[in-house]
Amino acid sequence: MSYVRSLIASIRVGWARDFGWTNPILGFSLKTIAPIASTMTALTILYIGFRNGASITPDNFPSQLGFIVIGATLYAHISAYSWVPTLAIAEGKWTFVFPQVYVSTRSTPPYLAGRCLASFASATVTSIASLAVAVVISLLLFGVAIPLVVTPLSIFLFGVALIVNIFASMGLGFLLGAYAIFASKFEWALPTYVSGILMVFSGALFPVTSLPRPFSDIGDVLPFTEFIRASRAVLLYDTVGPYFYYLGLSFLGGLVLLAIGLLAFKYSEKRARRLGVLDRKVV
Amino acid sequence: MNPRASLWLKTVYARTWVRTKSIYGEPLWVAVNVGFPFFTSLALSLLYSSAGLKSGIGFAFLGGVMVSFWGNVLWSMASQFNWDKQQGLFELYITSPAPISAILIGMSLGGILGTAPSAITLAIIGWILFAPPANPLWPLVAVTFALTLASLYAMGMALSSLYLVYGREADSVNEALHEPVSFLSGVYFPASLAFPAALQAIALVIPLAVGMDALQRTLFSLNSSGVADLTLVYRDILLLAIMGVILLFAASKALKILEEKGRRAGTIAVRLR
Repeated sequence: MSYVRSLIASIRVGWARDFGWTNPILGFSLKTIAPIASTMTALTILYIGFRNGASITPDNFPSQLGFIVIGATLYAHISAYSWVPTLAIAEGKWTFVFPQVYVSTRSTPPYLAGRCLASFASATVTSIASLAVAVVISLLLFGVAIPLVVTPLSIFLFGVALIVNIFASMGLGFLLGAYAIFASKFEWALPTYVSGILMVFSGALFPVTSLPRPFSDIGDVLPFTEFIRASRAVLLYDTVGPYFYYLGLSFLGGLVLLAIGLLAFKYSEKRARRLGVLDRKVV
Repeated sequence: MNPRASLWLKTVYARTWVRTKSIYGEPLWVAVNVGFPFFTSLALSLLYSSAGLKSGIGFAFLGGVMVSFWGNVLWSMASQFNWDKQQGLFELYITSPAPISAILIGMSLGGILGTAPSAITLAIIGWILFAPPANPLWPLVAVTFALTLASLYAMGMALSSLYLVYGREADSVNEALHEPVSFLSGVYFPASLAFPAALQAIALVIPLAVGMDALQRTLFSLNSSGVADLTLVYRDILLLAIMGVILLFAASKALKILEEKGRRAGTIAVRLR
């Protein structure tokens, strides 16, 4: 029970940190603008390729747009909350919040997991909003309706996929957190790396098979790639069989990543205690 | 030399030195700063490639280079005075005889010198990996690049005074501004090939958009004949020069007004608001 209470308290802390400085509507609006713009950048490049290149046929173009709009919004969604444990540690060291967790009777994993879940909730809202806005802008800008499958079943299955992906994202978060405990200057660059790497390796903008080996193999086994594939299966191709297949792979990969992340975090936390660097801010 | 001019130049030198040293003192920063633009450029290059437009790869890497500077303007120019204020450094600036305008110019020069290694590294990586076709008009590229940076950093100076007023909101505003301005400016693609004329006209108020248009034209010759439309390039150069002067003037005025107001109200060094 105490873990659940810690988790809920941490979710509230995360929410207050993200939106405490303003009202939630303004906060959500500011957080939604960036993913919309980044999705539109990818869609515009595809449009230019369609108009000036030779490999996309007019029949194929709308579904290609759909492929990218789903991938681009979802990779942004993953990167938006998977680095939150790093933020909670790095920012927490500067604001003296993080060392206080050790003073309290609670432990750090539920605190970081709660912060991650708070960010997951807000990232889900901003991702869905940016997906919807990107679809509308594409219609206005390119005159093409993206053929998304929007039914109660597809929305429900998409929601399940979002929840299943939490394991993998949280696992990645704990892995990065294990590094952030020791880092004292480069940790702020981590989110940009996570975002960039996901953009290339998760099949967000193009199939991972177009990467040279062994990079395509690495991308192929990432749970994030499977999550994006599952989402596409249900939101774009309207196929339930492949959805469950990809979701199962995403779930298994997520569990493995979470276990590795937690082990790495616990190990690095133990080592940081021994070295006395838990509150170290500068080298 | 006139003592005021001497003080001004010394301040510029000192601020430039600090900022440059902070990057070159830790060479790993170059590798760290290359990360995001590299992965983004790589992903968008592969997207160009899968869309059957390999000739567009150059746009993706040029965009990565310019995004490095745009990020530096937002995070290390516009926000800097706000952070300095939180750390108590701004108080020292205003109590010292150092002119604020010289500090800003020094910050800009240091920012350009500090960002240049990662931008150059990215350009080299892009060239080695993809060898994108280019048809550069080097003298015009150099003029355009210099004017784009000048007007971008002048915009950073103008924003720094605004961010000084809007304390905690600065980070969120930066996050909200970075991507949309990059998109509207056509950083990773030629806006003239994708946007309707009205949107292109609106984007012309953003120095980055004008600079990107000129750079894309002078580096990659956008039209089918393979020769850059020089009339549009000269238009962009003129616009950039005008923007640079206006933004510099606006930055200097805004800072003076805010400094005076802050001194009168006694809030100039208040750290949280």
